[in-house]
Amino acid sequence: MKEEIAIKAKNISKTFHISEDSHNTVKHRLFNLFNPPRRKEVKAVKMLSIDIKKGECIGLLGRNGSGKSTLVKVLAGVYPTDSGYVNINGTTMLMNLGVGMSQELTARENIYVSGSVLGLKIKEIDALFEEIVSFAELEEFIDTKVKFFSSGMMARLGFSIAVNAGADIMFLDEIFAVGDMKFQEKAIKVFESSWIEGRTVILVSHSMDTIRQYCSRAAYMDHGELKFFGDTEKAIEMYTADNH
Amino acid sequence: MILRIVNDWLSGSNKLERLWLLAKIEFKLRYYENKLGLFWALLKPIMDVGIYYIVFKIILSTDIPAFASYLFIGLILWNFFMESTSGTIQILNTKKYLYEYSNMNKLEIYTSTLLSNSIGFFFNLIMFLVFYNVFETESIGMSSYNFWIIPLFVNLFILSLGMSLILSCIYIIAKDITQIWQVFTSLLFFLSPIFYKLSVFKEALPSFDYANPIAGIIINARYVMMGNTAPNYELMIWDFGYAIFLLFGGLILLNKLGAKAAEKL
Repeated sequence: MKEEIAIKAKNISKTFHISEDSHNTVKHRLFNLFNPPRRKEVKAVKMLSIDIKKGECIGLLGRNGSGKSTLVKVLAGVYPTDSGYVNINGTTMLMNLGVGMSQELTARENIYVSGSVLGLKIKEIDALFEEIVSFAELEEFIDTKVKFFSSGMMARLGFSIAVNAGADIMFLDEIFAVGDMKFQEKAIKVFESSWIEGRTVILVSHSMDTIRQYCSRAAYMDHGELKFFGDTEKAIEMYTADNH
Repeated sequence: MILRIVNDWLSGSNKLERLWLLAKIEFKLRYYENKLGLFWALLKPIMDVGIYYIVFKIILSTDIPAFASYLFIGLILWNFFMESTSGTIQILNTKKYLYEYSNMNKLEIYTSTLLSNSIGFFFNLIMFLVFYNVFETESIGMSSYNFWIIPLFVNLFILSLGMSLILSCIYIIAKDITQIWQVFTSLLFFLSPIFYKLSVFKEALPSFDYANPIAGIIINARYVMMGNTAPNYELMIWDFGYAIFLLFGGLILLNKLGAKAAEKL
């Protein structure tokens, strides 16, 4: 049987143009027609191709500023790529310190909106609702607007939605830094249970133990280039060598 | 064939449910957050009608028959257009949370917001029908021509969606589009036959009813709702043409500029 591909990216690259003065208005553009802004190019991701199979857990390693987060956003379909193409097979969800939640909505509404964006039907969300709330330990604040939440509460709610509703393809960017110790233990337990099985997960982490434990393959990035993609141990080795 | 594709696409996913959920939440946010609640949605057109009635009927004593109803239908269509264009210029900014962490299709964000405005329009239309048939002394009653308001509204919806896409995508690279559009809409407002007599409007601005899609929609809406006549088909085809043209332009912009919203805003 042919293995199904979750994400196929070919020759993708991403460059950010950072200008020193922002020409964000028509007025500014008109007055500065002959005085173009000085631009700096930042090549965040340089020409790379990557295939991720369904049900795989991929680790993504690299030092700060190596382009991990940009690559994750391009693969998740949040940023458009400058060259090549990305084929995404299913819904994606990107999780870092926050997940897509509106400050103006209550926790209840956010659960429904996020669940729906992740591809669930209302009935499926109804069934999951209690579990999401109790996992996030937010029973008393269901109808409170998220803007009155503490950052820990926000993070817990986001994590809980991600864990219980989950998209087809999950991008987890340093998520084990969320919540207090008790909650972190809970989060790790979720990972130890079979949650990760059957899901496509891209895990960005600086914790080698986490990567070693869960990832079947890993990628190592340096200065926007994909230096290695394959065996987890090898990737960890390269990353550790880079840090010395 | 096209119907089948649409059907497959809808039944296999939760897209329709999602659109409706987002629209409901948007509507709730707009009206239930303040003390007067949904009452505002009903009060707003009545107050608008009151203001223009005082100016044009009482002070300038215009001779348009059933003037309050004439204003009413024009204003609710105009307000829908305003809410859906001026009100959505910053939509990619305010609704960033929806696309910043997932690969959700941005077009759904626009459709759900316009759907929410449509709920408001629907309430206003019911109010108009009650007003015209119960309180309006010069009313000529209802007729089957009233159903023509549905395609006219579809036309307005497409037109507003197209404009909304164009404006909100330009907003990404030029923030002052908000002010420019404000000036442009006040010009458009006075160049639409909202409170003028149709014959005066046509005489002063010949063939302008064909150049301004909003004017055409309002003129036709009055034919079918208050005139017991069929709409001007030629005018309607023109207006659908404008709407579809703008929608195409908007979709192209969304693909070119809108795709970059996550990194630019």
